[in-house]
Amino acid sequence: MTAQAPAPVKDRQETARRPPVPSWLRRVAAANETWTFGVLALLVAFFTAARPSTFLTRYDITQIATNAAIYLVLGVGMTYVIIVAGIDLSVGSVLVLSAVLSAEYTIHHGGAGSGWGTIAVSTLIALATGLLWGALQGWLVAKAKVPPLIVTLGGFGAALGAAQIITGGQDPAGAVSGKLQKTIGFGKLFGQIPWLVVIAFAATLVFGLVLAFTRFGRYTYAIGSNPEAARRVGINVDAHLVKVYALVGLLSGLGSVMWLAYFGTTSIAGHSTDNLKVITAVVLGGASLFGGRGSVLGTVIGVFIPAVLSTGLIIMGVQQYWQDVAIGVVLVAAVYLDQFRRRGRDHG
Amino acid sequence: MRPTHPTRRTPALAALCAVLALTAATTAGCGGDSGGSGSTSLDLITGVKSDPFYITMTCAAQQEAKKRGVKLTVNGSAQWDVAVQRPIIDSVAATHPGGLLISPVDTAALTPSLQQIQNAGTKVVLVDTEVSDASIGVSRISSDNEAGGRTAATSLAQLMGDKGSAIVISVKPGVSTTDARIKGFTEEMKAHHPGITLLPVLYDNDLPATAASQIQSTLAAHPDLGGVFAGNTNTAQGIATGLQAAGKQGKVKVAAFDAEPDEITALGNGTLDVLVAQDPGAIGRQGVDQALAAIDKKQVTAHIGTDMVAITKANMDQPDIKKYFYQAAC
Repeated sequence: MTAQAPAPVKDRQETARRPPVPSWLRRVAAANETWTFGVLALLVAFFTAARPSTFLTRYDITQIATNAAIYLVLGVGMTYVIIVAGIDLSVGSVLVLSAVLSAEYTIHHGGAGSGWGTIAVSTLIALATGLLWGALQGWLVAKAKVPPLIVTLGGFGAALGAAQIITGGQDPAGAVSGKLQKTIGFGKLFGQIPWLVVIAFAATLVFGLVLAFTRFGRYTYAIGSNPEAARRVGINVDAHLVKVYALVGLLSGLGSVMWLAYFGTTSIAGHSTDNLKVITAVVLGGASLFGGRGSVLGTVIGVFIPAVLSTGLIIMGVQQYWQDVAIGVVLVAAVYLDQFRRRGRDHG
Repeated sequence: MRPTHPTRRTPALAALCAVLALTAATTAGCGGDSGGSGSTSLDLITGVKSDPFYITMTCAAQQEAKKRGVKLTVNGSAQWDVAVQRPIIDSVAATHPGGLLISPVDTAALTPSLQQIQNAGTKVVLVDTEVSDASIGVSRISSDNEAGGRTAATSLAQLMGDKGSAIVISVKPGVSTTDARIKGFTEEMKAHHPGITLLPVLYDNDLPATAASQIQSTLAAHPDLGGVFAGNTNTAQGIATGLQAAGKQGKVKVAAFDAEPDEITALGNGTLDVLVAQDPGAIGRQGVDQALAAIDKKQVTAHIGTDMVAITKANMDQPDIKKYFYQAAC
């Protein structure tokens, strides 16, 4: 959400003496994303300067983007949920459950050698699983009035448990069609841009625009800012919440298809911290955990900051343990800066 | 009706045995010949029921028990969890088996339960994993993980042509088995392969996505990267994906532990290059033998380290290597 508050008084006094700052520049400086983008640009500049022959040359932007693609898709859904003052801890488990159900279909319909028909059906199964699971969680939040933290914490355990029951806890063999892996997983559009990145950015663009410019997006912000007010002006808050949780489920399902295509296995045990990674990204992007504030563009930047940081530190040969420290510090610092700037503006 | 240890065979007792076989988890010496240890019952509790490593161990233990003419009852936790395994131990303890083979899932939390069952006269043999209390168990049988790490290093160095950089990507620090493997790997590389530069260890917290991005970053920083030692299957999967995306599959050699069915597939199609297989079958057989030796008051070996073998695409079809493949079912 671009803040359009008038510039602080102090600024106005200063600009009176200096040549006037163009209003577009002031608007840009007031936007949340500008500041987080500044942090990202600073990191990129730092690593490029430190390792010019390696960073963004040998290890280029498409590799970073490919590795961030799945988290980005999950992050877009999480942005909506956090804007309505909710939270979804279940994303990683829903991804696993969707992957497992779609894998079960693939295994019984041709396995690794299966064709496009199987791929299409298994993809639909993954998307439908995510959508239904998300809608169910949304219903529990909106209608049954169970706090989202509890609903999705339960969902986190239940979805993973269901996936383990189906598979006996083992990643099944022949879970993915080789064709899907070759095209979507490792293929590139025009031989340049990996399909994973194309899909992630398409999803990001669509849902970013929906959030910024449609009624659905405006309702999302309105409910997050003040659900009671939203209800009084006639927004069907409960139905909207169900839709938002269904959306994050759907995107988890999409993430599971991308995961299967890229990694070729369901990785049942490999998604226990997806939720924290994704929430970190959304918060880094300027969203408020109290709702009403956040943007998909911010989330994009928020996904890339830890990605750039961890790859950059490995390239520089910094000991692994420092990476976690660095990401933690950047998270807290970014949110602090944001609060500081916001407080200054509110008082001015 | 409480299961007892029949010492004499009478028709009535045989009938009782048949009933017991249906009702209790363990019975002793019902049917079959009654040689040497014929009147002894053994129990095996594995770490995770569905794990091919433990399935292979179980199959071998059952064969050995059959050969020795004793009854072996198998239980296993559904998950690697103390809270799941402990009730199983306690229910087995209630049947007073002659011997118990167990892979404890925790080094400390299960000690009281095991102490109790041991005090009741059951001979406890620790297989694969251990508890820190040295008074538990008449024998401890596990893979020599340091030796396994050395085997991985030797094999990987050979495939790398003794030059270039190598890196270990493991799950997390502080796990005794993987730490020992890394120690063996590092020592062997430093001592016998000076041409290879060993990079600092990275940890992926069991997340394939992290391993994929780590291996790509490492490739960028060290273009001469020639070999990776992966901590577990998830990590190996992530590394393989990262290498494939970077177009380096086959050029960078990947070594991993264990020989589960999907890893064998990965070895066959070139995703992995070296598998260091443990010998769960030998652990299971030795476990039965040691438990029976203890029951018969014969000599027991306190510590047994079983061998590990390196499997590559070149030798994977040889019968003496194939026997190390883990089984998904008996």
